[in-house]
Amino acid sequence: MNRPRTGQPDPRLLVLHALRCAGACGLARIRAVTGLDESRLDFVLIDHTVDGLLARVFDDPPCWRLTDAGRAEHARLIADELMTAGARAFVEESFDRFLVLNPELLDLCTAWQLRSVDGVMVANDHDDAAYDARVLDRFADLDRRAAAVCAELSAALPRFGRYRVRLAEALGLASSGALEYVTDSTASYHTVWAEWHEDLLVTLGKSR
Amino acid sequence: MRWIRAISSQVEETAENLGGKALGLVLLRRLGLRVPDGFVVTAEACRVFLREGRLPESLHDEFTTAVADLEHRTGRVFGARERPLAVSVRSGAPVSMPGMLTTILDLGLTPEATETPEPVPAETHDRASAARSRLRPLERAVEAVFASWDAPRARTYRALNDISDGLGTAVIVQAMVFGNKDEHSGSGVAFSRDPNTGENAPFGEVLFEHQGTDVVSGGATTRPLRELAGREPAVWAELCDALRRIERHYRDACYVEFTYEAGELWFLQVRPGRFGGAAAVRLAVELVDEGVIEQREALLRVSPRHLRHARTPRLDSAEAEILARGIGACPGVASGRVATSPDEAARMAAAGVPVILVRPETSPDDMRGFAVAAGIVTARGGPASHAAVVARSMGRPAVVGVGGLVFDAANGSATIADRLLTPDTLLTIDGTSGDVAAGSPRILLTPAGTHLHRFLAWSEEISSDGSTQGEGG
Repeated sequence: MNRPRTGQPDPRLLVLHALRCAGACGLARIRAVTGLDESRLDFVLIDHTVDGLLARVFDDPPCWRLTDAGRAEHARLIADELMTAGARAFVEESFDRFLVLNPELLDLCTAWQLRSVDGVMVANDHDDAAYDARVLDRFADLDRRAAAVCAELSAALPRFGRYRVRLAEALGLASSGALEYVTDSTASYHTVWAEWHEDLLVTLGKSR
Repeated sequence: MRWIRAISSQVEETAENLGGKALGLVLLRRLGLRVPDGFVVTAEACRVFLREGRLPESLHDEFTTAVADLEHRTGRVFGARERPLAVSVRSGAPVSMPGMLTTILDLGLTPEATETPEPVPAETHDRASAARSRLRPLERAVEAVFASWDAPRARTYRALNDISDGLGTAVIVQAMVFGNKDEHSGSGVAFSRDPNTGENAPFGEVLFEHQGTDVVSGGATTRPLRELAGREPAVWAELCDALRRIERHYRDACYVEFTYEAGELWFLQVRPGRFGGAAAVRLAVELVDEGVIEQREALLRVSPRHLRHARTPRLDSAEAEILARGIGACPGVASGRVATSPDEAARMAAAGVPVILVRPETSPDDMRGFAVAAGIVTARGGPASHAAVVARSMGRPAVVGVGGLVFDAANGSATIADRLLTPDTLLTIDGTSGDVAAGSPRILLTPAGTHLHRFLAWSEEISSDGSTQGEGG
């Protein structure tokens, strides 16, 4: 199949898309998800707010969320993006490959959190470093296969390349002892993966 | 036969070759319980298949003979239009790998198979080759199960659980029994005792007029096992008797999968119960009281980890109004008012109201809701779903895959056991048992209670005995 045309991601879409896939989030997280620098991000957030696409939520910490108008505008832009890039068939194929990996990722997260003791699952207390290392080793193996899928997707829609960066970051931190980067933090491997899953669904206009 | 074994009480074989599931079926046969007719292709054949990429040459003839025997005994013909033989082709590894390997049901009922049968030619050679091509779909199914051993997900599971990649899986080919045949048919799973509490009473789920896959997949709403007693008293009595016999053999609680077809009870799988937490403690203590095991063995059966979990708070299910039951995904008990969206959960929590977040399933947008909720309930998903992973990461009691929870896409409303859920609805959930109860029933802080005290007392006696002996010697 011919590679679809590629273009640079539009920051306006990136911000709406981040809030659509990751849910409402604060400034630091939007930056992490989109990879936009601070000044650029400020501009987009202000523009979108003026246009009524975003609203601030005064939670602690304060965050941003899509308004109904923002959701509608996002749906329009994301459908446009896929059509302009001529990437639907290509993304569909990659999504199928993603869906093969997804149950394995969830198995791994479960193995990280729970251990089988005499056939019964109990919480993994992370006392057994050898066990944790074995699980992380399998994460690394899965990550290599996930990287291949991500690379295909990025060739069609470059914004998907951000997942590669974020997943590698999470795995790197986890391997160097920051265990919360496996399943627990908002930048954890599982969280980023779940956003990637949601992103594919949203991009293709599918429901779960 | 080199590659194939009958499922019969005479088989003497190791789990390494026959697989754990088939060994269980042999045990059931020995105990005089009804098991659908069939045979096992050994794990050794799988090891050859994995090494050489195809079935061993001498397997084909054995396979044809085994199927012919099965056809003869059942009076049915594989691929025939009239009275077709329908079989299940199930994996059965030497070490259990739940859900990781392929299983094919209802083979022989597919249109593909019903087109092939031809009149048997006179020549023996032709007859053999005709039989072989007629049975080709069956051999393909065996190959598919063997090949699933090497799927990446299965490899990962083995790496995590210290299972050798070289074991391979046996394949069990059995005549199907149909839980959906008539109103005296159904399927279910049963524990000889309650795996949540250890109480000595059969516990499980039954699905009337359905096949067993519907029980496991959650495709239909199951009923508590005890309803079988009223509806099919003879089947119930037979099941209870079988559970007692199996317990006596294992000297432990047990778990079975069963189907009853036109009032006749069949067993499809058996294994020891594998209880955890408070249930493991109560089971061990009561087995001592029943004279089944010694105190010393009881102490060995409950690991320190389970003992720690015996102190996890539990819902008192005897006194609670249980609305639905799902899969416990993160242990603990939580009570609160219902929120059906993350926004609603955030608003209610900000007003100081404890919240149970109830969702069809979860997307990343629900994380805010998770963060403020006391507990989480989802209609879909299993113990390894995004919702379960996140709930555990936040330490929130969670119940997933709740069959009786229904969302109306048109108006966004949710009902559980036909009861409309509103922000005024008070629910209590138990993330160990998967119970979802109305209101705020009593919570047991040390559910193993007196059993745990007795267990710990034995433990102290024995360890002080041990130290006395140690000093003496």
